[in-house]
Amino acid sequence: MFGYVTIYKDELLVREFNEYKSIYCGLCRTLGKEYSKLSRFILSYDCTFYALLLLSLNGECPGYEKKMCRCNPLKKCTYIKNGEDALSKASALSVVSVYFKIVDNISDSKGIKKLAYKFLKPIAKKWANKAKEKYPYIYNAVETMSKEQFKVESMDNAQLDMSADPTAKMLKSVLSYGEQDKSRKLILETMGYNLGRWIYLMDAADDLEEDREKNNYNPFLLMNYNGEQNFKNYISQILNQSLAQAYNAFELLDITLYKGIIDNILLKGLAQKQRAVLFSEEKNGNKSV
Amino acid sequence: MVTNPYKILDIPETASDEEVKTAYRKLAKKYHPDKYVDSPLKDVADEKMKEINEAYDMIMDMRKNKNSQNQSSYGSSTGYGGASDPIFQRVRQLIMANSLDEADRMLDSMADSQKIAEWYFLKGMIASKKGWGEQAFQYIQRAVQMNPGNPEYTAAYQNIMRARQYGAGGAYNQPNQQYGCSCCDMCAGMMCADMCCNCCGGGC
Repeated sequence: MFGYVTIYKDELLVREFNEYKSIYCGLCRTLGKEYSKLSRFILSYDCTFYALLLLSLNGECPGYEKKMCRCNPLKKCTYIKNGEDALSKASALSVVSVYFKIVDNISDSKGIKKLAYKFLKPIAKKWANKAKEKYPYIYNAVETMSKEQFKVESMDNAQLDMSADPTAKMLKSVLSYGEQDKSRKLILETMGYNLGRWIYLMDAADDLEEDREKNNYNPFLLMNYNGEQNFKNYISQILNQSLAQAYNAFELLDITLYKGIIDNILLKGLAQKQRAVLFSEEKNGNKSV
Repeated sequence: MVTNPYKILDIPETASDEEVKTAYRKLAKKYHPDKYVDSPLKDVADEKMKEINEAYDMIMDMRKNKNSQNQSSYGSSTGYGGASDPIFQRVRQLIMANSLDEADRMLDSMADSQKIAEWYFLKGMIASKKGWGEQAFQYIQRAVQMNPGNPEYTAAYQNIMRARQYGAGGAYNQPNQQYGCSCCDMCAGMMCADMCCNCCGGGC
């Protein structure tokens, strides 16, 4: 949806990078197979992370195979062999979030942009309905988020914690869905909540300048702060707090498959993105994945 | 309860005492109750801590000989203590039972004159358990300002401050600034040194 949940490539083992890429390519293939060729364009790092986590929780190595790339006939890609369930859920999350994002954008934008979103809406709706049939829990979670978010942003002075709550709750329910073990469920809920909170607040931090100019709602703009640098540092602290909570929760999970990749994402990838957004540090060369 | 203590510490049975200790310390750091004081996962972490404590004690007991020093393991913290006012005690019980809304309502219904440091601390704990980190930070900060000597408030405050300063993984995981650059600096340094060498010595 936002693409903040990425790896920090420089610190990843080459083997891990290849594994990550094969999940990424696998998700692209599944999107194309289950929805349409067009839906491949909505492939995101965030949903790749969801697939990665599901595979890791499952604990069985999915195996790898080399096949022709579906987008570029001159290239060969490595795909994961099994793990269709994880990829299918992650594809559903992709299309459903894109659909609600489009609905949201229609009411927020004007002119030609609005027209473009209106044009895209029926296509995305078709995908989202298909996903809803297969995974109603994902559709319901994102729909609830969208409704709650609207309510929160219509309030005059929704404070920061409240504004992040809908996204946080969405990821909390999606990540922990179907987990039978009680403490594992609690761990996934805490991890999901804080990761969702982080994503929402990152998006808000990213839009800060634009929202300030256009006088839009932004949870950070309600805070009074002396000087831009102090302000950015303070935002960074709030984001850090969520990340630490999410990682502390993750540490209590006893998983081994892809642990290195998830560690890399949670400890380094997200921190890197955070610095890039807040302090305009050079964005990591993730484009080449 | 503990089935195979070696499995829990993730070490082979042939591990030396030193290796057992190292493995235990590593896990104890990972699950340390201080990290989870304000988290909904407190019980889960405590449970894990208990497990590794038991495993460690079991291994040490099994290996015990006359001169064992009985290295005691980290104790797991025991809930909240030292509440004075009965209302606060009740609120603490509710928080521990995870009835956060009810606890919150009870606190909100109290008169302003009753809002002492403990009131702010408990408000902060409720917010924290809900995941509302910013509110939790504000309340707990206030509690510490009102009563700086209280170890319970200070511990919670320091835990939040650590998270806010260092983010995920704590102080040992500060990316970029340290490594990336220092490596380049080293390279540049070497290149400079090499140039000097060539200049003066004429080919070393």
